Amino acid sequence: MLTASRHTAAGHHTQGDYHMHVTRRRITIAAMAGALALTLAACGSDDSSSSSTPEGPATGEISVWVHGGATEAEKKAAQDAVKAFNTSQGDITAKLQFIPDQQKVIGATDPAELGDVVEADGEAMSSNVYAGKLQTLEGLVSQETLDNQNTSVAAQNTYGGDGKRYMVSMFDSGLALYGNKQLLDAAGVKYPTTWDEAWTPEEFTAALEALAAKDADKKVLDVKENYGLSSYSTYAMLPIINSAGHLVLEDEKSEGALDAPESVAALTSLASWKKFTDANADDKAFVTKRVALSWVGHWVYNDYKKALGANLVVIPLPDFGAGAKTGQGSLAWGISKGSDNPRAAAVFLDFLMKDPQVKAMTDANGAPPGTKSVMATSKLYAPGGALELYSTALQNSCGDGEPTEDCIAVPRTISAGWPTINAKLGEAIANAWNGADPQAELTKAAKAIDQDFADNDGYAVK
Amino acid sequence: MSTLPVPPETTDDTRPVATRRDTRAALMFVTPAVLGLIVFVLIPFIVAGWLSLHRVNLNSPLPAKWFGFEQYQRILFDADTRGDFYRALLNNFTFAVIVVPLQTGLALALALLLNRPLRGMALFRTFFFMPVVFPMALVAVMWRLIYARDDIGLFNSALNAVSFGQLGPVDWLGDPKFALASIILMSIWQGVGFQMIIILAGLQGIPGTLYEAASIDKAGRWAQFRHVTVPGLRNTLVFVSLVTTIFAFRLFDQVYILTKGGPDNTTTTVMYQAVSSAFDTGNVGKGAAITMVFVVIVVAITVIQRMVLKEEREIS
Repeated sequence: MLTASRHTAAGHHTQGDYHMHVTRRRITIAAMAGALALTLAACGSDDSSSSSTPEGPATGEISVWVHGGATEAEKKAAQDAVKAFNTSQGDITAKLQFIPDQQKVIGATDPAELGDVVEADGEAMSSNVYAGKLQTLEGLVSQETLDNQNTSVAAQNTYGGDGKRYMVSMFDSGLALYGNKQLLDAAGVKYPTTWDEAWTPEEFTAALEALAAKDADKKVLDVKENYGLSSYSTYAMLPIINSAGHLVLEDEKSEGALDAPESVAALTSLASWKKFTDANADDKAFVTKRVALSWVGHWVYNDYKKALGANLVVIPLPDFGAGAKTGQGSLAWGISKGSDNPRAAAVFLDFLMKDPQVKAMTDANGAPPGTKSVMATSKLYAPGGALELYSTALQNSCGDGEPTEDCIAVPRTISAGWPTINAKLGEAIANAWNGADPQAELTKAAKAIDQDFADNDGYAVK
Repeated sequence: MSTLPVPPETTDDTRPVATRRDTRAALMFVTPAVLGLIVFVLIPFIVAGWLSLHRVNLNSPLPAKWFGFEQYQRILFDADTRGDFYRALLNNFTFAVIVVPLQTGLALALALLLNRPLRGMALFRTFFFMPVVFPMALVAVMWRLIYARDDIGLFNSALNAVSFGQLGPVDWLGDPKFALASIILMSIWQGVGFQMIIILAGLQGIPGTLYEAASIDKAGRWAQFRHVTVPGLRNTLVFVSLVTTIFAFRLFDQVYILTKGGPDNTTTTVMYQAVSSAFDTGNVGKGAAITMVFVVIVVAITVIQRMVLKEEREIS
């Protein structure tokens, strides 16, 4: 695997050099035209004329930093997009680089040393803006690009400090329960299929009990414990707090919000389901039909569909009182603050957010598209598609407002203090899952979060 | 430091030139080590001391701000926050108290076992030494599968088979009762080979004539072990237990990979807290303060241990 990926990267690199070489030396126009025609034919038609720039065309070379932990299919889609960009026009040359452990690298790198274009975790956007690593995309990328972003990612990519957009997304994410229809039917469990009909915690417990009664080892639920709950849970289990009607921070304070009675009750219910949960050390609990329900994100759909076929059903997460909620947000793209060619970077982002690129990427990873136009035509996510439940949630994003009955997808706290929230909340959920007192854990996390905000002068923008 | 060449004591001071030359040679020998200590220990230590008195955050545009002893206050005294540190310290001590004697004893037993003239002994020694060669990160990832809490886990399926299904699956890393014990077990397995090799070398340094003399005196195997082997290994054992103690207090990798300090802080360690404070939550000041406190504690323990277990210096 490792060798294979290195080959791909190396192969691509040579090709990039070749393009650079051609553009710089201006060898025969015929050769260029030939190469252009070939690649254009290969990647289909797209109109590259709309890359609007304020004054004169942007030119030069830009470096593009791509998340190195991406899957092979995602890496290939990114490489193809860069290749297509370079052949679609002759003014700007994009050079792609895969960055391992990218959030730590971004954190430790001087803004001037970052790539012109940076792919980074969406939930770290605020923290990156606060640290002066990113610049706003408003006035740089075209209005059309910004307008075409789904409301969910538009919310996630807006910095609270100035209300401006700092990133754009090719794709989004979502959480739900995947069910094995055969096992559910055998246990006589009726399941909801829309967010409005979501199970209450009591109904969910009853469903688990009914399933366990028919199951040899009584383990009928998978929550992807193998991902490591102390970090994964701040994505996967945060929706239970939101569904209890609370945010991690309310009026800039965590005490009284994160550890409110409703939040505690939600975490208590969650922890009570551990006894039904398969540890899933082999990551195969659902596909080998050991469990009937899997609490996880959109990304397993292709594997699950292959294993279960028509028996795969998608069920909303339980409703803890304030309406069922789910997560959102994923990797996104921005322009580094130290970039010496932000206009060229913006042209690249405009190109990247066009339908062919977004479609190729979301076909590769199965994620909900981040743009309205691709979402509308997606086989999986458009109305009537198998994963419509996710798109319904994302189109009804709560943004950074209070989680009410009317909205479904809730972004992770859009705040520069997210790294601390992430660490403390993850610890609290993991501890409660392992039997610690949910009230004590949430209060401890809330106090630690508040103390961190106080230490950092509330992460206020200067 | 005591292993450095010490210039001969000159009370009468009749050969000042030679003394000066000796001193110069000693200084030359000691320079690389001292430079290394200054660059990699002393300077970082001073910087950490400065950091611990300031509010410094990773990835923050805020300038460092004087914080006084606030971080120490929170770590050691504040009722809301001190629990973590004391729990970590307790875990470190528990770990050391169990691991040091157990691992040293086991290493001694293995070394005795492998110190026989048998065919293919090199192969056996390699097997026991192998876990030391693997990086802890790799070993920890493998043990995550061994400790898996469902019945697919290697330990649980073995337990199940041995007890004819009577002993149910145990949540080795998730149950507060077992988590630290599980970390201890895998740490001993991983580390014992290292001590074994050192003790093996010590064993081979004991002259065979001593055993011959002992057997002429009709000493049995046990008497030989007690009165020839153990005294012969004294310095080796002192060294091994010192090093193991220091390793025990550095406990980090396996915790970081297997449990992240959980469940409910039962496997957290001081090192783990220092690292996670500084790099997960970006609170560099707190991380630095934890390391400062820890340095004081570890140095104190090492000094006490050295006073109690004096190595025999004279060379026979």
